[in-house]
Amino acid sequence: MNLYDIIFYLFAIITIVSATFVVFTKNIVYAAYNLLLTLFGIAGLYVLLGADFIGIVQLIIYVGGILILILFGVMLTNKITDVPIKSGVLQVIPASIGVGMLAGILILIVTNISWRNMELTVPESTIGSLGMLLMNEYILIFELLGMLLLIALIGAANIARK
Amino acid sequence: MIDLIYLTVLLPLIGFAINGLLGPKIKNEKVIGVIGSGAVGISFLISLGIFFELLGKPAAERHFIVNLFQWIKVDYLNIPIGYQVDPLSILMALVVTGVGFVIHVYSIGYMHGDKGFWRFFAYLNLFIFAMMNLILADNFVLLFLGWEGVGLCSYLLIGFWYDRKFENSTTADAAKKAFVVNRIGDFGFLIGMFIIYLTFNSLRFEEVFAQVKLGGIPESTFNMIALFLFIGATGKSAQIPLYVWLPDAMAGPTPVSALIHAATMVTAGVYMVARTSVIYASAPTIMMVVAVVGLLTAIFAASIGLVQNDIKKVLAYSTVSQLGYMFLAMGVGAFTAGIFHVMTHAFFKALLFLAAGSVIHGMHEEQNIQKYGGLKKYMPVTYLTFLTGAIAISGIPPFSGFFSKDEILWYSYANAGFAFWLVGAITAMLTAFYMFRLYSLTFEGEGRFDHHHVHPHESPKVMTVPLIVLAILSVIGGFIGIPEIFSGSGGNQIKNWLDPVFKPANSLLAKHGAHSHFEEILLMAVSVAAAAGAIYFARFVYLKRKDIAESASLKFPGLYRLLFNKYLIDEAYDKAIISPIVKVSDGFLWKFTDVKIIDGLVNKTASLIESFASQIRKMQTGVAQFYAVIMVLGIVIAFFWIMASL
Amino acid sequence: MTFTVHDLISLSPVLLIGVGILATLIIEMLVKESEKILGWFTFVLLLSVAYLSLILLDHTALVFEDKFLTGGRVNIFFFLFSFGAAVVSLLSMEYIKKAGIHFGEYYIMLLSSVLGMMLISGATDFIMIFIGLEQMSVCFYVLAGFNRRNERSLEAALKYFLLGSFATGFLVFGLGLIYGAVGSLSITEIVIGYETLKTSPLFLTGTLLFIIGFSFKIAAVPFHMWVPDVYQGAPTSVTALMSTTGKAAAFSALIIIFSPIIQAAYPSFFTPVISVLAVLSMLYGSIVAISQNDLKRMLAYSSIAHAGYMLIGLAAWNEKGVSGVIFYLVAYTFMNLAAFGLISLIEKRDLRGTEFSDYKGLGFKQPVLAGLMALTMFALSGIPPFAGFFGKYYVFLSAIEAGMTWLAIVGVISSVISVYFYLRLIVVMYFDNSDEIVMVTPSTSAMLGIMISVLLIIIMGVAPGSIINLINSTF
Repeated sequence: MNLYDIIFYLFAIITIVSATFVVFTKNIVYAAYNLLLTLFGIAGLYVLLGADFIGIVQLIIYVGGILILILFGVMLTNKITDVPIKSGVLQVIPASIGVGMLAGILILIVTNISWRNMELTVPESTIGSLGMLLMNEYILIFELLGMLLLIALIGAANIARK
Repeated sequence: MIDLIYLTVLLPLIGFAINGLLGPKIKNEKVIGVIGSGAVGISFLISLGIFFELLGKPAAERHFIVNLFQWIKVDYLNIPIGYQVDPLSILMALVVTGVGFVIHVYSIGYMHGDKGFWRFFAYLNLFIFAMMNLILADNFVLLFLGWEGVGLCSYLLIGFWYDRKFENSTTADAAKKAFVVNRIGDFGFLIGMFIIYLTFNSLRFEEVFAQVKLGGIPESTFNMIALFLFIGATGKSAQIPLYVWLPDAMAGPTPVSALIHAATMVTAGVYMVARTSVIYASAPTIMMVVAVVGLLTAIFAASIGLVQNDIKKVLAYSTVSQLGYMFLAMGVGAFTAGIFHVMTHAFFKALLFLAAGSVIHGMHEEQNIQKYGGLKKYMPVTYLTFLTGAIAISGIPPFSGFFSKDEILWYSYANAGFAFWLVGAITAMLTAFYMFRLYSLTFEGEGRFDHHHVHPHESPKVMTVPLIVLAILSVIGGFIGIPEIFSGSGGNQIKNWLDPVFKPANSLLAKHGAHSHFEEILLMAVSVAAAAGAIYFARFVYLKRKDIAESASLKFPGLYRLLFNKYLIDEAYDKAIISPIVKVSDGFLWKFTDVKIIDGLVNKTASLIESFASQIRKMQTGVAQFYAVIMVLGIVIAFFWIMASL
Repeated sequence: MTFTVHDLISLSPVLLIGVGILATLIIEMLVKESEKILGWFTFVLLLSVAYLSLILLDHTALVFEDKFLTGGRVNIFFFLFSFGAAVVSLLSMEYIKKAGIHFGEYYIMLLSSVLGMMLISGATDFIMIFIGLEQMSVCFYVLAGFNRRNERSLEAALKYFLLGSFATGFLVFGLGLIYGAVGSLSITEIVIGYETLKTSPLFLTGTLLFIIGFSFKIAAVPFHMWVPDVYQGAPTSVTALMSTTGKAAAFSALIIIFSPIIQAAYPSFFTPVISVLAVLSMLYGSIVAISQNDLKRMLAYSSIAHAGYMLIGLAAWNEKGVSGVIFYLVAYTFMNLAAFGLISLIEKRDLRGTEFSDYKGLGFKQPVLAGLMALTMFALSGIPPFAGFFGKYYVFLSAIEAGMTWLAIVGVISSVISVYFYLRLIVVMYFDNSDEIVMVTPSTSAMLGIMISVLLIIIMGVAPGSIINLINSTF
């Protein structure tokens, strides 16, 4: 087991343990903090895979942006409604059966497939080539994503309308 | 002239359009009535002209196809709107437009003053339009279109008096029952059509029948096709096990019962079997099934008819029974005799229904025959015409019913065996009995109605003239089909006329051994004697010795109740089929997944408005989780399948 | 990347609608009381897009680095989406006034969802399908909850959003697996490598997840759970849009993913899955619809059943099946538009009045509306000579040709069952009476929309051949 593996397992454990907490804690604020750890762990995994750009973006957007938004949302609505915000646990048995079976199947598939193995090399930065791709081959998709965001914005504005 | 065939279809449609769209504005009953009847009347005249034109041609050339336009045309399916003029279709067209016209005229009097007068005539014309499509179609799809169309009109007309009560429910329920039962039959028809297309790659009669004649297709395929088509026929023509809708269909106005549920629509199944006779001839097993089902329906319905007290119910069961005869004819290969019976039955059954309508009209909507009696002095025309119809249906020579029924009985003896003849003859006897029970209780004896409140009266001319016309037809209609033993070889006119149509089928059927003239005359005499005896017995029981009928029903209470309650078939269907489906839908799927979980939520949301913030989250996520769990289970099952099949 | 004039012309329907969305935004911003003109503006815009798609039927072009295809079958879908949405805009004009949601954003969302659908149907790359799907879905989420003062509408939006995201999650996971197996998300790459891919568990699992993601959108059992709640809760005009063009868009995606598979071999690996989905949807939808008391909910279950019928065409997977599905989609779109349009007219101000009991005696109080409704119900139940019959007919025929007669038989049985609940409405309308007065003054725009739909239902029943030929000519 080399250093790479150790770091990988570290991040993996962070991700899984904190995700479990997100699901099982009854306090929404704790859940939000644990989600932060989960997303951080995933960012680490991205970096380990050589996807430096996505790793960074994951940190900035999810950890930096979205989570703060969630925490603000929780705190603000908490004050408005005067109701303790807690989430209950519903449909435990059918859900755990379903999820357990799904997990089992996925593990079965993952272990049964002969994956393509790649030589481990020190990766180069992907930012440059990503930019080139987005501006050339994927230009349409890039533009359309802009459109999608615009529409999401209008929708959000509509929901917030008085 | 033959090219004008499309007019016979188009005119009723125009009548429907005028009355349906402008009816509420016209308001004048006479104008509406004349438009409605005129459209059908002109159709009849055109059909008559075409008939004579065909008559002038040699027998082998009496077949034309008039293509109007290409309806569906794709590389693999080519269906025109095309009408086929041949002896069979033109004969049916004459019956439909002729009897239809008479009934239209009658309706002007019968429906007088009804608030839905224009609606009634619009529906009737629409019905004639659909029926003409059905009988003139030159392909299965157009036939199916007409098939569905007549079902639809029948449904609209049964529920015409939607605000009236009918037995324990409403006319709307009766209408719905008719439609749903018919759809079960249609399902069979559709499947039959699919198999035909699959086998022959075409749905046009000409092409399909030509391939049948070539041979080379296994008999099992024919069996499948014939069986499924026959399921369709049992629905439309009210045969076991799908006959239950027809008695309930009597909830509609009486002219509707006469036109749709006696003379024309219900014979569509017989017509369809006759039209596809080549296919049936290639499937002898199914021919046997058709014969047996027809025979059972005939005797079964006749026995129910023995004890019914509603004048229209008796006639309805009698119709079911007579339809059974027609299928018996089809099943034993006597196609001509079957179509012949379709024709004579259209005359006398329409007559009986219209006369019954006249009685009901004169008796202030009373339909219970126990409350009639002695009406012959009040309504002489109705009495005489009804009597004519009753004699005709009982099979007493020389009235029309005798010729067609006798022909069927003879062929069942010759082609299927003595047992078939025997059951058929017993049915004929029962028919004569219940018809004269009906006749005696209605027109003879003492009046059992309340003389102070009910004043029976004869119907107006516009109703009695159609009765007289139909009565004349019921008397003389049989002479076109005088058996060859009396008229000599080639003397049976209708046989000569229809022969070219059924030739391919008859050549496929196995020839049976010859029978002597003596046998034929003997059987004929026995069945006529049986019918005459039944008539005498019915009059004796119901006029002179009423106690016999009562003591019989007291002696065999079980049998009487079984018959009176129509063998409890309706109840059995309800228990065995309808309520389980409703229970599954209502009790399990709907109550379990919907009421408990989804509806509960919706109801709760209403009460949740006050405590919205605190509760909605819990409810929402709770239920959404459940939905998600169902989805996950679906995905898991799909994965298992993929793992298993890899 | 070079663009020719031909490419530009071929793309013009999509470009026009994109420009239209921006123009709507600007009008909304600059013009006072813009919502009054936006309705007709949207209608005209969509109509011109529909017209363009039709006349450009044979302008096939592969643009944007082989990411987007136009012409042929794709344009038929373009036409269906834009024309269907044009009818929806007609139905919406008065309805959203009545419902108190008369805002310009409504039309922006409507147009954007159509753009999303077009992106799905023209995609030749899974990423494009995904972006189009998201665009469409986001618009639907917002539209479903557009009536923010109505709890049911909000509930519908939230539920749709939660479950929709859940389904999208599986879809994206599937895309990831497909990428892992192929090394690309382009359909052409998959076609090239199909011979080796068809035994790759990774590829098959990914495709299965992709199919499941879209089964959610077409409302196939067991991925249908959201449908009754959302269809009932959403504003009726939105339900009309979601249940028709939205379903058509999802089907167009399924047709795309299946196209490489069909070219390779029959029977396809996925035929059993699709058949099971079809059978479950048909029977479940038809049976549960019987006991519904709310018309919108009944139509939601009927929509599940119709998805089942269409899946038969995909299960049969021959050209006839595909053209049958497209025909069915067109027929279903206009039947449902007519039905929901009529419901939206009869609906009351407080958005109640969609129960069966509210239709008592309508045949006499509103003969025209009731007559149109009856015709639509007959068409939906598949009675000839209306469009619905031929939709089923072509689909069943294709199944029989593919040797799956049993599937056609289940379909026929289910449609026999379904007659019952469509008929129930007619019975209530014509054979029932109530003293309650129904005050409906049908607006010109909505009546125009309904009339167009009904006319198309009849035309497709009278001349189905020419339409199926048009569809066939695009293969």
